[in-house]
Amino acid sequence: MWIERSALAAELPGLATLGTRSLAETLASLGFPVDAMEARPGTEVLDVDITANRGDAMSHRGLARDLSARLQHPLAPLAPPSVAEGEPRIPVHLPAAACPIYATALLTLGEGRTPEAAQAFLAALGASSKQLPAVDASNELLHRYGHPTHAFDADQIRGAVSVRMARPGEALVTLDGVERKLSPEDLVIADEGGPIALAGVMGGDGTKVTEGTLRVLLESAWFDPRRVRATAHRHGLHTDASQRFGRGADPAMAPVARDLLVQRLQEWSGATLEGAWTAGALPAPPAPVDLPKDLLTRVAGEPLLLAEAAKALKALGCGVEAEPGHLRVQPPTWRHDLLLPEDLAEEVLRLRGYERIPSVLPPLEGPPQALSPEYLQRQALARRLAHLGFHQTVTYGFVSPEMDAACPGPLGAEADDDPAGRTLANPLGQEYSLLRRSLVPSLMATARQNLKQGQREVRLFEIAPTYRGLADKPHEHWTVALLWAGERWDADPETRSGPVKAKHLLGILRDLVAPEAKQVRVHPLEDGAFLAAELHLTAFRRPDARIIPSYVPHSRFPAVERDLSLVVEQGLPWQGMDEAVRTALQEVPLADLTCADLYQGKGLEPGTKAWLLRLTFQAPDRTLVGPEVDAWVARALAAAESLGARLRA
Amino acid sequence: MDHLLPSEIADADRAFPEALAACGDLDAVLRLKGAYVGREASHAARLMELLKAAPREQKRDLGAVVNALKNRWEEALKARQAELEAVKKAAGGATWDDSLPPPLPARGALHPLNRLMDSLVDVFRPLGFHVEEGPEVETEEHNFDGLNIPADHPARGSADTFYLAAHPGQLLRTHTSPVQVRTLKQLAPEIHAKGGIRFLAPGRVYRKDEIDPTHSPMFHQVEGMLVGHGIGMHHLKGTLEYALRALFGPHTEIRLRPSYFPFVEPGCEVDVSCPLCGAKGCRVCKGSGWVEILGAGLIHPNVLSFAGIDPGEWSGWAFGMGVERMAMMLSQTPDLRLFFENDQRFLKAMGGLD
Repeated sequence: MWIERSALAAELPGLATLGTRSLAETLASLGFPVDAMEARPGTEVLDVDITANRGDAMSHRGLARDLSARLQHPLAPLAPPSVAEGEPRIPVHLPAAACPIYATALLTLGEGRTPEAAQAFLAALGASSKQLPAVDASNELLHRYGHPTHAFDADQIRGAVSVRMARPGEALVTLDGVERKLSPEDLVIADEGGPIALAGVMGGDGTKVTEGTLRVLLESAWFDPRRVRATAHRHGLHTDASQRFGRGADPAMAPVARDLLVQRLQEWSGATLEGAWTAGALPAPPAPVDLPKDLLTRVAGEPLLLAEAAKALKALGCGVEAEPGHLRVQPPTWRHDLLLPEDLAEEVLRLRGYERIPSVLPPLEGPPQALSPEYLQRQALARRLAHLGFHQTVTYGFVSPEMDAACPGPLGAEADDDPAGRTLANPLGQEYSLLRRSLVPSLMATARQNLKQGQREVRLFEIAPTYRGLADKPHEHWTVALLWAGERWDADPETRSGPVKAKHLLGILRDLVAPEAKQVRVHPLEDGAFLAAELHLTAFRRPDARIIPSYVPHSRFPAVERDLSLVVEQGLPWQGMDEAVRTALQEVPLADLTCADLYQGKGLEPGTKAWLLRLTFQAPDRTLVGPEVDAWVARALAAAESLGARLRA
Repeated sequence: MDHLLPSEIADADRAFPEALAACGDLDAVLRLKGAYVGREASHAARLMELLKAAPREQKRDLGAVVNALKNRWEEALKARQAELEAVKKAAGGATWDDSLPPPLPARGALHPLNRLMDSLVDVFRPLGFHVEEGPEVETEEHNFDGLNIPADHPARGSADTFYLAAHPGQLLRTHTSPVQVRTLKQLAPEIHAKGGIRFLAPGRVYRKDEIDPTHSPMFHQVEGMLVGHGIGMHHLKGTLEYALRALFGPHTEIRLRPSYFPFVEPGCEVDVSCPLCGAKGCRVCKGSGWVEILGAGLIHPNVLSFAGIDPGEWSGWAFGMGVERMAMMLSQTPDLRLFFENDQRFLKAMGGLD
């Protein structure tokens, strides 16, 4: 909101001597940060940020009130002329609770124009003069005092005026020329022909003041903030008026602003007052709020005198009664945000300045809680993968339907996953419309981009939730995906680099995944140039709850190593061999069983491969002797032969 | 055609694979090579003699057999030689060129945003904070209602918040604050036994912003919350002063300014003295010496009540900060999109590894 320096000083004369920089700092310390300061012809303007709870501060007068309380300088008196009220010239009915008071006046306009000073004021705020005194005066009042008013062309009004809810099917062409279909939830000003304004939001085109307007009917009312916000939102119509009524205007200002507007029209245009009257009455003030001393002390962090608090609250316009142990506070009519003792404590601290709040570490009242195993697991996994040469990526959680279709997700294609259950109602675009079931497509896109940038090798991972679209809601699962693309690049000049192979990625997974999680799928992608794997985090080894596991003694007797060079069918899986040999040697002290060498190619019959089985025997309590080991090796060989293996010649 | 070969050659061929496999070093391969395909007194030389002496009508067939055999031996020898050379090279100490820089092991990187969030957790751990997390798909109740956000608040609109098409009440959380609601509700029954609540909630959040250098529909926040007896603004200030000094350096000053968030009362914005210029005034702090870093305040009594915690007995503070904003400020990264592009060079340089 733009504030003009001299108009602010007009409300608070003490400001005249305060430098603009100090003014900006004072405003910021009161909760109104200044986003920009600009020079305008003959003056300076400040762009002040007003929080949503402070509708009362959305004017020069409003900010001056807070500054006055802080700086302890008196406000300039607000001296409206007393406009004598009489019988209604046009009946005004208020059937809706959302409009309790409606002050109005009927005037015949004169020939005068908007004064230069008022035009300059509006221009400085970026709101140019319309060259119509009734419009400009209403606008000027809004910026100066914060109370929105409106002037209708009185000769366009048909019969009595009422402030009521719109009726089904009603429409209104607003000042901006747009026809608005009204909802029965919209509060409108209507004459006997139908709606003539959206209450608190915008006037109607049919009753607007023009060059030809002879008589004006003024409106200075108070509307329920919730109604105004809802209507402004419904019609996407956020105006100076709707912002102020929507955050809560001052009902007591309704007759005052009417008087000020009458005065301006008389002075600027030479208008003649035909009559002034008010429908309804001020709403009852909200109940007083108590501020207990102990609450104030707790919030402030130090004992504050209730007398000091009372002084601050009074400076802000509150009525304050000191009672034993607390203050009974009646907030002023312009403050709709003071509902709780905490709200009052904040006001006291705000006026004192937050810089005076002491700085203390909170005491620990109970034992600290450990980090969850799931969180620690993710942290450890990310570090492990980074140390293995992978780069952690962060990609968007939503993807396009095409990307989503490209990869089935960590559990494979799932019958119970329905993409419709993961679809956004209002995405940024099709490309971001689906919560992803797999991280792999995002990693693919990232890898492609990296390869395009000339990276020889791309190693990426991401740890993020994936989603399954189930009937009740999208279910989230922490997932890790790895992608290895391009060349397997080794920094050692003595080692040849080559294309990355599935075994490299599987080796990484074997290192990370618990032995029981055997269902690891490696996606060979695009001619083998990309390899990716993806798992739910539940598949991974959890950090052991024990810091050091139970002691398992290791043998101090020598180990015996024996190799069996076997030729087996090409299709025989190692797991079968491993199981067969281990089963055959169940009660034998077999310490290790590995495939020490794989040979395929020349010298072997087509359709076969050669495994060098390495058996390591070690007993916990004795040195093994040759004959018993020979017997075990024979059993191992027999087990292997049962799978079709034979000793390599 | 093998019948054309003398038996000793056929025997030698049968023995060849085993003999080759038995070659443990390059010298052995060279010896075997001499024996099989050497110029003199080798099996190949013997075959050449045989071929010369063969009757004219056999020469053609025999020649083919001899050539095939020789080629096979030569290729196998060559392959074994390469294999042993590679082994030798890999074993390598003796042949390593000392003038070369020794090769570095593979090294990846953590993402800079994750590193920053991890640092925040590290800073708060000594104060007894642990980590709480919640789902990204949230309910209006957790994302808005439980945080004292009015039913007609514009942030609830579909212009600001992503909603699920098939599940009208569900949305992508717009801040990490729903973790407050969940955690307070979950811990409320045991709050006395635990002696209050204190936790951080780092995570991803979503808002319907078009992608540009300073906006992203997905970003990260870290939420902090503490509930105890007699907690006031002084505790918030004390904690943030400690934490922000731990992050930005011991000479950092902090400044609280009044502000408004529906879920806290009093509310404040927190500035730090500009860590880049030492508060002298620079481009990052726009000459002011201060940089806005987070929003905070005392937990609104309605938020505690909603979760089933008596605001008459318990009080607390909460803060929330934007991770990208802080990362950009600290690193002077000019464009938010770089954090989601994931160029490996960027990740290595900005995220690195401890």
